[in-house]
Amino acid sequence: MTPDTQFTKPVVLLVEDDSFDFQLIQAALGRTPGEINLIRVEDGDKAVDYLTGTAPYDDRKKYPIPITMILDIKLPRRSGLEVLQWLRSQTTPICRLPAVMLTSSNHQVDINRAFERGANAYLMKPESVRELATLLGEFKTFWLKRMEFPEVDGKPKNWC
Amino acid sequence: MVPANARSKEGISVKNSSTELDLLQSEGVFRLMVERIRDYAIFMLSPEGIIASWNEGAERLKLYKGEEIIGKHFSIFYPEADLASGKPAMELRVAAEVGRFEDEGWRIRKDGTRFWANVIITAIRDHDGKLIGFGKVTRDMTDRREAERRYRLLIEGVTDYAIYSLDKNGIISSWNSGAERIKQYSAEEIIGKHFSQFYTREDAEGGMPAKVLETARNTGHYEGEGWRVRKDGSKFWSSVVVTPLRDDAGEIIGYSKITRDITDRLKLLERIQQHADELEHRVTEREQANAELEAFSYSVSHDLRGPLRAIEGFSDIILTDFGSQLPPPAVELLKNIVRSSIRMNRLVQDLLDYSRLNRIEIRSSTVNIAAAMKDACEQLQEGLRDKVTVTVPATLNVSAHQGTLTQVLFNLIINGLKFYPPGHPPHVEVTAHRGAKSVVIEVQDKGIGIAKQHQERIFQVFERLHSNDAYSGTGIGLAIVKRGITRMGGRVWVESEPGKGSTFFISLPAA
Repeated sequence: MTPDTQFTKPVVLLVEDDSFDFQLIQAALGRTPGEINLIRVEDGDKAVDYLTGTAPYDDRKKYPIPITMILDIKLPRRSGLEVLQWLRSQTTPICRLPAVMLTSSNHQVDINRAFERGANAYLMKPESVRELATLLGEFKTFWLKRMEFPEVDGKPKNWC
Repeated sequence: MVPANARSKEGISVKNSSTELDLLQSEGVFRLMVERIRDYAIFMLSPEGIIASWNEGAERLKLYKGEEIIGKHFSIFYPEADLASGKPAMELRVAAEVGRFEDEGWRIRKDGTRFWANVIITAIRDHDGKLIGFGKVTRDMTDRREAERRYRLLIEGVTDYAIYSLDKNGIISSWNSGAERIKQYSAEEIIGKHFSQFYTREDAEGGMPAKVLETARNTGHYEGEGWRVRKDGSKFWSSVVVTPLRDDAGEIIGYSKITRDITDRLKLLERIQQHADELEHRVTEREQANAELEAFSYSVSHDLRGPLRAIEGFSDIILTDFGSQLPPPAVELLKNIVRSSIRMNRLVQDLLDYSRLNRIEIRSSTVNIAAAMKDACEQLQEGLRDKVTVTVPATLNVSAHQGTLTQVLFNLIINGLKFYPPGHPPHVEVTAHRGAKSVVIEVQDKGIGIAKQHQERIFQVFERLHSNDAYSGTGIGLAIVKRGITRMGGRVWVESEPGKGSTFFISLPAA
């Protein structure tokens, strides 16, 4: 999906290496009401580059700061858990970015580690695209409509 | 000397002296005292050995009266062999030469019986040094000798322990049969040798023997284990106790040493240790294998299910978005793809569950059956929940693993609901009751039932009695039931009649 440069829809950063899964997530989102601007990067390093505005993600008009990030765990280069760890150790407001794990692992160890490293939610990839649509529909309703979001852009804050 | 028959019958009573001290110092009183001593035979001999006096002790010991023995030669007390070797004369000669002779040996009483005597003969000379006779003191040592003999026999007869004594320098002075058996030396060849020859060369050169005696001397006791060498050069592992022997004055006169051959025990310990090491090694291997399996299952669950999700998902998208443009047979084929991928997904999940059941540590605790049933029913699809009737006492508990019991019950319910003939609404009834030590849970259906010859097979992995078209399933559900229950220390069995339905029974320890 090409980034929406108008920012009328909430921007969600998806870190997902499997392009089939990405397509399924897109299709499932398409079946649910409410639009979002889903931007996908393929690995953990790119997620970090995106969030820090490092080239090729240095144009914030094309690559805006997201309001939330959806992370797989098993990723090339830098795993989802490592991205989380990096994110929560930042000293800029980006450290507040809400992070949702979406993964095929229901390994208790992974679940525990994700929350230890500051995940805000942990979701299992369902078996069918229908269930995925239901899940993402609920996500949109609760996460994007009901939740209050922190400021994640701007100058460094001392407390962060 | 005063004849023995001059003794006073009323004890020592002399009334002529002025003071008691004078009295006691008088020769007459001294003579009376000697006469009245009962525990020692004390008598005088002439230079030639003729008995010249006799006391009560002598009479008591040798049974002769004074009047019948005085004037006889003292050789009358000696056994034949001593007389033949001229021992009595020899004793007097030695006493005359060195002033004193001490001996222990057999002597003969008047009635011919023997007693073991300790004899001291002292030469008596006048002021000019002329030999005027001998004083002889004899003590009956028969009892002590007997006790010592028995004690010696006892020690000598012990074969399980080497018991031997050393003099204060470590020279071997006694040797029992156990010592001979264990160390292979006979008493004749080892008595008089130093005990350090039992040690290995390294120990002997390292001063071990001296250290052992030093420890025994300083602490009153030495105890240790170590290698010792037999006569033939072979080694044995010994347990040793050394105790110092002291005389009445407390001076060390030697050591007693007790040695046991505990090589067998050592070998046994080594074998036990070997087994323990081996076991530990196997446990480590197994833990590694388990960790690898865990990692394998993890990647199976992650990697294998990804493509399955894609197959199912894309087929579903085609059906939804383009279904109206497809000919009906193509729609059917796509639906088959969706069903197959869903089935395979379930298969992977079931296999993972089953292999997890084999590996995970199952810790039992008190589990409420009604609560586990509620969890199991919540996992059922919505449409199936009202097809299960649960009649379980609210307070009934078992010793089990909560998650595993729930998994087992879920699988049994799914199994029970599945095998109904087409057109018959499925129904499962769950009941539970407490026995003496266990709780039995029954899951009953009124389905197609299982023939007798298949009732064992159904609990094995991938065992299926029906085609997938007739009754879909992975063939793992009941294997999970069996494995889960077995790992929780319980039993599972089935009673069934074709056409009438099946009842699955689980028995678990009551809690």
